[in-house]
Amino acid sequence: MIELNGTFIAQIINFLILVVLLRAFAYKPVVNMLKARQDKIQESLDKADADAAEADKLLAQYKAKLAAATAKAEEIQKNAEKRAAEFREAEEQKVKADIEQMKKSAQADIERDRAKAVEKLRTEMVALSMAAAGKIIAKNMDSADNEALIAEFVDKLDKDKIGDLPC
Amino acid sequence: MHEIGVREVVQFAGFTFNWETLVMTWITMAIVLLIAVLATRNLQMVPQGWQNVVEAIVVWLHEQIDATMGKNGRFLAPFVVSLFMFLLVSNWLGLIPKMASPTNDLNTTLGLALLVIVMVHGLGLYMKGGHYIAHFFQPTPVFVIINAIEEVAKPITLAFRLFGNILAGEILIIILLQLMPIWMPIPSVIWLAFSIFIGGVQAFIFTMLSMAYLANAVKSEEEG
Repeated sequence: MIELNGTFIAQIINFLILVVLLRAFAYKPVVNMLKARQDKIQESLDKADADAAEADKLLAQYKAKLAAATAKAEEIQKNAEKRAAEFREAEEQKVKADIEQMKKSAQADIERDRAKAVEKLRTEMVALSMAAAGKIIAKNMDSADNEALIAEFVDKLDKDKIGDLPC
Repeated sequence: MHEIGVREVVQFAGFTFNWETLVMTWITMAIVLLIAVLATRNLQMVPQGWQNVVEAIVVWLHEQIDATMGKNGRFLAPFVVSLFMFLLVSNWLGLIPKMASPTNDLNTTLGLALLVIVMVHGLGLYMKGGHYIAHFFQPTPVFVIINAIEEVAKPITLAFRLFGNILAGEILIIILLQLMPIWMPIPSVIWLAFSIFIGGVQAFIFTMLSMAYLANAVKSEEEG
């Protein structure tokens, strides 16, 4: 029952054949598959990390760009406001100058008209006083008092007021 | 129904072979290969169904080997998994009527045990050289006697444990079938169930002890 014979060697060889066959047909494919999956997962993880880093970089870039654009827009707005203010200032200055000019010319006109009117009145007054003087002379030519009267009258005509009337 | 302890023999090239053991071994090998190929064909990147089980077994085995032998023991994984599957199928094959376990023949079990022990010493010498021989003389040279007995005992205990368990199981099945009337199957069924359990346990023990012996030879010193 427990005798050893050639079967002993045969069984060792049988088992070694089985090991070789199992290794070739079953074990290797499984291990290779495990390795392939491990590699694939590792690769995916690496790729995900790289993608995330890339995304972060892009985000930082866009943020920087956005900040620059915002700063530029602000600058442009400021410039525009400044220019508008300057323009308004200039415009105001110009209008003021125009008004001043117009005021001055109007005043000059008024002054001229007044001078004219005064001149005209004076002429008329002289004529009138001459006429009055004529009448007085005709009545009392010799009286020195009358001469003084006329002179005073003429002197008064030089003042701003003609008689009691405001100019 | 074959007679217990009497083996059919054939003569070939001057050697005697136990014909039944050889045939049963080949059947076992075919079954193991069939299972392995069926389980591992059509492997996919995204595992489904049986592929998960097969991969879990391989990963578990790798973890066991890493824990006991270190990384350089990985090349032994196919040997270990073959050993376990071969023994499991062998042990259970004998429970089928008209079949016999290859492991009920001492030629098989001692062959495997010696193969394991030769591998242990061969790998030990290959991987550690002089250190491997020196460790038989530690802590004092006198221990070489005890160590020698231990090394001789290893294959013998491995072989006879498996052989005895399986042969006893098969003998008792035959005896129960002859003793019990055909309408009383309960003892046979109980013993059959127990034999299934024993077959699994013995395959597991043989494989685990082989791994432990191999680990002793393969693992590097610093991994302790």
